[in-house]
Amino acid sequence: MKQHPLCSDCEDKITPMDLPIPSGLKKEWATCESRRQFLGRTGKVLGWAALAGLFGEASLNYRALASGPNLQAGSGINNLGLPHFAPKAKRAIYLFMSGAPPQIDLFDYKPNLAAQFNNDMPASVRGNQQLTGMTAGQARFPIAPAHWPFKQYGQTGTWISDLLPYTARMVDDLTFIKSTNTDAINHEPAIMLMNTGNMNAGKPCLGAWLAYGLGSMNDNLPTFVVLQTKTNPKENNQPVSSRLWSSGFLSSEFAGVGLRSVGDPVLYLQDPAGVDRQTRRKMLDAVEEINRQTLAEVGDPETNSRIAQYEMAYRMQSSVPELTDLSKEPESTWDLYGPEAKEPGTFAYNCLLARRMAERGVRFTQIYKRGWDVHDNVVGNLPVLCGETDRGSYALVTDLKRRGLLDDTLVIWAGEFGRTVYSQGGLSQENYGRDHHPRCFTVWMAGAGVRPGVTYGETDEYSYNVVKDPVHVRDFNATILHCLGIDHNKFAYKFQGLDQKLTSPVPAFVVQGILT
Amino acid sequence: MSVATKVASSAGDLWQRARQSRRAWLGAACATALILLSLLFVPLDGRPRADWLQFLGRFHPLLVHLPIGLIVLLPVLETLGIRHPSLREAAGLVLKFAFAACLVAILFGLLLAYGSGESGTTVTLHLRGGVLLAIELLFCVAVRRSWLQTQHSPAYFALLAGLLLTLTWTAHQGGSLTHGSNYLTHYMPPTLKRYVAPSAVSSHPSSFFAKHIYPVLDTKCVSCHGTNKEQGGLRLDSYESLMAGGKDGIVIAPRNPDGSLLLKKVTLPPSDPHFMPAEGRPPLTPDEIARIRAWVLAGASPEAGSVPGIFIAGDREEAPPPVGDYRALMGEIQQMQQSQGAKLVPVSAKPSDGLILRTTDVAATFDDSQLAKFQRFAPFIVEAELGRTAITDESIATLAQFKNLRALHLEGTLVTGRTLGKLSSLSQLSYLNLSATKVTSGEVAPLKSMPNLRHLYLFNSPAEPASADNGIRSTQ
Repeated sequence: MKQHPLCSDCEDKITPMDLPIPSGLKKEWATCESRRQFLGRTGKVLGWAALAGLFGEASLNYRALASGPNLQAGSGINNLGLPHFAPKAKRAIYLFMSGAPPQIDLFDYKPNLAAQFNNDMPASVRGNQQLTGMTAGQARFPIAPAHWPFKQYGQTGTWISDLLPYTARMVDDLTFIKSTNTDAINHEPAIMLMNTGNMNAGKPCLGAWLAYGLGSMNDNLPTFVVLQTKTNPKENNQPVSSRLWSSGFLSSEFAGVGLRSVGDPVLYLQDPAGVDRQTRRKMLDAVEEINRQTLAEVGDPETNSRIAQYEMAYRMQSSVPELTDLSKEPESTWDLYGPEAKEPGTFAYNCLLARRMAERGVRFTQIYKRGWDVHDNVVGNLPVLCGETDRGSYALVTDLKRRGLLDDTLVIWAGEFGRTVYSQGGLSQENYGRDHHPRCFTVWMAGAGVRPGVTYGETDEYSYNVVKDPVHVRDFNATILHCLGIDHNKFAYKFQGLDQKLTSPVPAFVVQGILT
Repeated sequence: MSVATKVASSAGDLWQRARQSRRAWLGAACATALILLSLLFVPLDGRPRADWLQFLGRFHPLLVHLPIGLIVLLPVLETLGIRHPSLREAAGLVLKFAFAACLVAILFGLLLAYGSGESGTTVTLHLRGGVLLAIELLFCVAVRRSWLQTQHSPAYFALLAGLLLTLTWTAHQGGSLTHGSNYLTHYMPPTLKRYVAPSAVSSHPSSFFAKHIYPVLDTKCVSCHGTNKEQGGLRLDSYESLMAGGKDGIVIAPRNPDGSLLLKKVTLPPSDPHFMPAEGRPPLTPDEIARIRAWVLAGASPEAGSVPGIFIAGDREEAPPPVGDYRALMGEIQQMQQSQGAKLVPVSAKPSDGLILRTTDVAATFDDSQLAKFQRFAPFIVEAELGRTAITDESIATLAQFKNLRALHLEGTLVTGRTLGKLSSLSQLSYLNLSATKVTSGEVAPLKSMPNLRHLYLFNSPAEPASADNGIRSTQ
């Protein structure tokens, strides 16, 4: 328990450092160290020196790398040796459909299921799989075919549900993976696995790895930005937390910077009334000076991160208002994204921001859309969810394409798992529900590094098990890294005695079949 | 005396003796030779004949290996016979057998060609090769006896060498007939392939058709639908003949795979009499069929470089040529990176991948004079991000000297089309973004002749095409 510095019955002796006295005096005090301090510190120093000697040079290098390439002002000098090879994509935009969209109603067309309406799903299909507590107790697992018809689109003749009329227009630009699968059956572990490669919290997410490994492409905006879509209270919104864009054991300057969906995108970014830019600059310079002293004294790399973050915030004071000022967007933008895009916080608005950030050199943008957790009332909820996201996704890909940005941008659309073919709760002609399903789900990618129009992997006739070309989440992440010029096996950070990787210690394989 | 005249005189000498000693025998030989010679000009009319002719004819590929074996054995026996006279004795028998087997093989070959109605240059060449072989064997028989009497005369060995050459050439023609003309070269390493005469498949050698459709046709179809044979009046050895179709009409209906006869025939059940490839030749793989189907669905273009939805391993984009090593300039590059201003960023850890010129942070103030300062780095710069900078037409001349430039971003700049033509000298340029500039379509037109320019963006410019494809223009 921390005690007040002036409390008379303090357990520890009060030092002048704790007293509210001018810092000049404290500094003076710090220079005349007591014998006890001297001996205490000498002991520690000798211990550390011995330890460093034992570890050899490797430990020193490791410390030097801890803050990644950004430590050196400006971008590009990369002492990590990254990118390993010439990347196809310079940046990525990740549309994250939190809650798990039902692949079977949107992409994974199973025409034979219609005839099996309300039949029991064969037990052999499920095998010995353990279901979630929500459906494990169900007496039967009645097959619920997709409520919406599918049609073929594009030159590739890809089947798409009527729910996604806009996505249907761009199927020839997309790369579908129908065989993605994951280890987790519940949201939190699954969404962590998808984003950080590990079900447990504390690991850096994809965006943080990219920020650490590839560094920034601009000085005025963060390397990694997270945009949250306004929630629709009628939907089943699973929580999305900052763990998902955390930098884990990497320096915190690589964590995602969240822009708020309502009000000011960044809080307290504006100077308070009466404070002009010069005053702000002077203040920040003073803070930096103090922080540098702390860094010299304590040597904690987090102090470095803090210095960088103050500077970034200062620059963002002008760059963020410019970023979010959509008044100069031509009419063609609104024709493409729709009127919804004018309203901050909508998915379409976020997609437009993502395009603007791509133009301004943001390395990685992740847009979260919650509400896909359709345990019941699929027929009621899914059209709303698709209506909210379909046009925005289409507009983003199309806009990037017409502006020539899709040549070096990778767009990813994915949730954390799929949903079951059998109905959760009652199945009727009018409605049904779908439970979590980790064994297969559909994701798509578009743009740099991936081959357009390809559909990769196949599921069985119940969209339950993968029958061809399985792609584990690890493989999926390895493929994303590959598109950005990174060999996932070589991209490691030593922490807790392990060469930590985004793709975890289990072997992962780049999906060669979808690469250009 | 030169070797040639020596050979000629000794051959003449031998010939003289043979004539003297075996006049009658020689008469018969000459008659045979004449008949064989006449066969050289036998016409094959290309009409299929009665079944039993074909039935017998199909033993030709089996029988043909007997004379081949014997002919190859012959020089071996003769050479070894120098030490072991018994082998030399055997050689005489082998030679006669070879001649007889050769005649039989030719006979069956004729039955096959005549019966199945095969006609075409390769068939004719193969037939002529066989006949030539028989004539040479005959000469060998004639010469050998006297050669045995006058040891070490080179004429006989010269004949044997000629025999082997003819054999190789004839066998190759035969192989081309059964396996297709690219059977040997298909999997040849590219380093060797360069020395083989390139097949002029199409006027667009990097098109999807040339790379992925033609080889399938060539391996699986052309042996019956090509220069060798023209079954059903259909030739599949060029894009034009493929699209022209045969006696049953067109075989490829663009954008309509289900209405394309070719796809119908190759997807019939193999037991169906109309199934192709016929006569038990290897059928098309599902992968090859999918490839043709996708190509037809996409319009069956002879030029298109890719077909949506089809991925072919090994069909990766060719890596651009490496640029020089910039590491000598690294000190300067790093200094630039640490200061405010435009930066040079390595594309990857490999120096040969080049540098990117990045101006994002200073775009508004980055002008022609600043770009000029980067001229000394020009050979190493593969991508110039100059979008929304203050550069003008003056910089185009500077940029024309960035010889390794592959991607050039000029979107939102003051550049007009006036000097764009100068960029034509950038042979590696594959990406050019002129969105939101004042260029017009007339000014952009000369760029279209650039060999590697695949992505030209004109969004929000006067040159933007009014088509529905969102302003994407591809020159390929």
